[in-house]
Amino acid sequence: MSFFEYLHLLFTDYTLRTTTLGTAILGAVCGMLGSFAVLRKQSLLGDAISHAALPGIVIMFLLTGTKNSSMLLLGALASGLLGAYWIKGIIKNTRLKSDTALGIILSVFFGFGMMLLTYTQKLPNANQAGLDKYLFGQAATLLTSDIWLLGIVAIACLIVLMTFWKEFKLMLFDPDFTNVLGFDTRKIDVLITTFIVLAIVLGLQTVGVVLMSALLLAPAAAARQWTNSLSAMVILAAIFGALSGIIGTAISATADNLSTGPIVVLVSAVFVFISFIFSPQRGLLFKEIKIWNNRKLLEEQKTLAFMYDIAATHEDITHPHTVKILNNFQGFTKKTLQKLVVKEYVNVNDNMWSLTKKGYNEAESLYSQYVNDDD
Amino acid sequence: MTMTSVQIEIQLIAALVAIACAIPGTFLVLRKMSLISDAISHSILPGIVIGFFMTQDLSSPWLIIFAALTGVLTVILVEFIQKTGLVKEDTAIGLVFPALFSIGVIMISRGANDVHLDVDAVLLGELVYAPLYRWEWGALDMGPQSLWIIGIVLVVNIVLLLLFFKELKITTFDIGLSASLGLSPVLVHYGLMSIASVTIVGSFEAVGAILVVALMIVPAASAYLLTNKLETMLAYSIGFGVFSAIAGYWLAHWLDASIAGSISVMLGFVFLLVYLFAPRRGLISNIYKRKRQKMEVSLLTFLLHLHNHNEEEERHVKHLGEHINWNNKMASSVVKMALENNMIVLDGEIASLTEKGETFTNEAIDYIVDDEQLELEGMKDRYFLFRG
Repeated sequence: MSFFEYLHLLFTDYTLRTTTLGTAILGAVCGMLGSFAVLRKQSLLGDAISHAALPGIVIMFLLTGTKNSSMLLLGALASGLLGAYWIKGIIKNTRLKSDTALGIILSVFFGFGMMLLTYTQKLPNANQAGLDKYLFGQAATLLTSDIWLLGIVAIACLIVLMTFWKEFKLMLFDPDFTNVLGFDTRKIDVLITTFIVLAIVLGLQTVGVVLMSALLLAPAAAARQWTNSLSAMVILAAIFGALSGIIGTAISATADNLSTGPIVVLVSAVFVFISFIFSPQRGLLFKEIKIWNNRKLLEEQKTLAFMYDIAATHEDITHPHTVKILNNFQGFTKKTLQKLVVKEYVNVNDNMWSLTKKGYNEAESLYSQYVNDDD
Repeated sequence: MTMTSVQIEIQLIAALVAIACAIPGTFLVLRKMSLISDAISHSILPGIVIGFFMTQDLSSPWLIIFAALTGVLTVILVEFIQKTGLVKEDTAIGLVFPALFSIGVIMISRGANDVHLDVDAVLLGELVYAPLYRWEWGALDMGPQSLWIIGIVLVVNIVLLLLFFKELKITTFDIGLSASLGLSPVLVHYGLMSIASVTIVGSFEAVGAILVVALMIVPAASAYLLTNKLETMLAYSIGFGVFSAIAGYWLAHWLDASIAGSISVMLGFVFLLVYLFAPRRGLISNIYKRKRQKMEVSLLTFLLHLHNHNEEEERHVKHLGEHINWNNKMASSVVKMALENNMIVLDGEIASLTEKGETFTNEAIDYIVDDEQLELEGMKDRYFLFRG
């Protein structure tokens, strides 16, 4: 399928259109909220909450018998919030650390959900088919009404973020100071946790329990590499999230048997990978290049300093010496010599080198620099 | 009602899995690495799929080997990302395992659609079917394959635990000491990670990825709230695990629901009980402790107030509300506690310190000035007849 065919389908095919729109909005919302989760060191909270939402879905189904997704999501929201606050309770009230608290809630709630799910499956007349889609997600089952729901949540999230931007930002970087200033940190915390749980719950239908956490984390982790400003990070994360959704849906639409969820997650992982390597300030590639440049510079300086030592023993500092004596000096290569010549620190004639005045002064200042550093 | 041999086999497998998981789980909880088990249990999926593609046999030991390798690979990847310092620790875990899991899911949907290898089974396991896959030696029925697999994993776990107990203990509690004693914390770390991977792989076939996490973390976490001794903690974890495995089986039997799910529920139930009622570290005991602490601090404040003031109006019981900002209920319970402990006498409504109250307050002031909290606690034991 060519790109134009895809574009054509995007506007004519109902499923592709809703799925693309749905994953894009979801990605954007998750990116925005994920930024806060990542910066608050709550990256894996999303993983725990998405698992903890399962029993809520099944209980809602058992109680109401409906498969209306917004009703079920209400149940998911309730049990997700319960899980999130229980995690906080365990960390606060016992000596267990956050990783263990997350693991307990994640596995116990999910196991409870599974028990209920298998229980309902064996009930007579209970048409539970369709509940499993929350486990692994089926983006293709998104309906126009789901898109509206996602859109409303996205807008609400945007409004809340903009209204309480200052509070969120303050609390992120200095919770104690926020408290001292008279803000109620607990309320701000409830607000942001609720929105994170809401985003996760909405994502369950699309990408499923297991992969939901990645959608929350990956765009934010990628965005973090490009900027140090919170607002820029939130916007970038939203863009990365939306792009992951759109590209992932497009790829899964072009081939049979490719479910959307895993592809979207892998696309977002590619964003992370690229950001880790190529981001100009923090990226691994540029860090390597910086280290490499430093090493080269150091070799050059070492050679210059060695030459200075030799030259200093003569009255005329520009007295020529053979290149040979440099040969058994570690760190010396023809290239470093060439570089020194280009910088006019050294003159080379046949197999003889001599220090220039400029080079001598440079080497001397190099020494005094080191001496000063020692002080 | 008598148990059928299939029921006994299922419970036996579940109990062995519980023991095998409790051993590495204890150390994971103590080392604050609980969630690595979650990561490994998901990310072994591609390893299993690759193993299956190469052997075309779901019961081949190669599957286990590949899966365990993927588990170790997960740990290495997570640690590599952590070391770059680009993201915080837990983010690294959250990035690695969904990506590997996704690769596994995609590989299954592209290549293994026609065989019995679906994601549900990997995630949830199905203990009910475990006795169906049997190992036959010639014509002899040797029992369920899973029983053998988990049995071997368990033996390996126990042998390694006994051999390296000292090393595990020291590296867990004091890395600095272990390094200076010549033990290699890094080696022990990777050894533990490998064993955790092998245990997860050996268990998940029977109980699924999520229950493995539950069996590793929840019993150990419950045990940690009950004891400070590593040996006792291991014993408790194993006990909780086995109890939940058996009880969970019968819960599932009764509800006709997933065994793995029911075992998790039982584990959660055990944890809830411990969380609420654990002596000294449980929720209720903590609330009680906090309340008592508050009362005792209030009492001390009251006594200091009396100590500082000779004026009768300051020592009037009715005035406590104004001066120390207490409500009536608080004020009367503080006064009652002071009376019970013979710290004050009441002359009408005027409170004054007794001799005992005077010495107590003076001693307390000394300790407060020198900021010796511990001495203050010991003093409470010596002077108080009734505690808050």
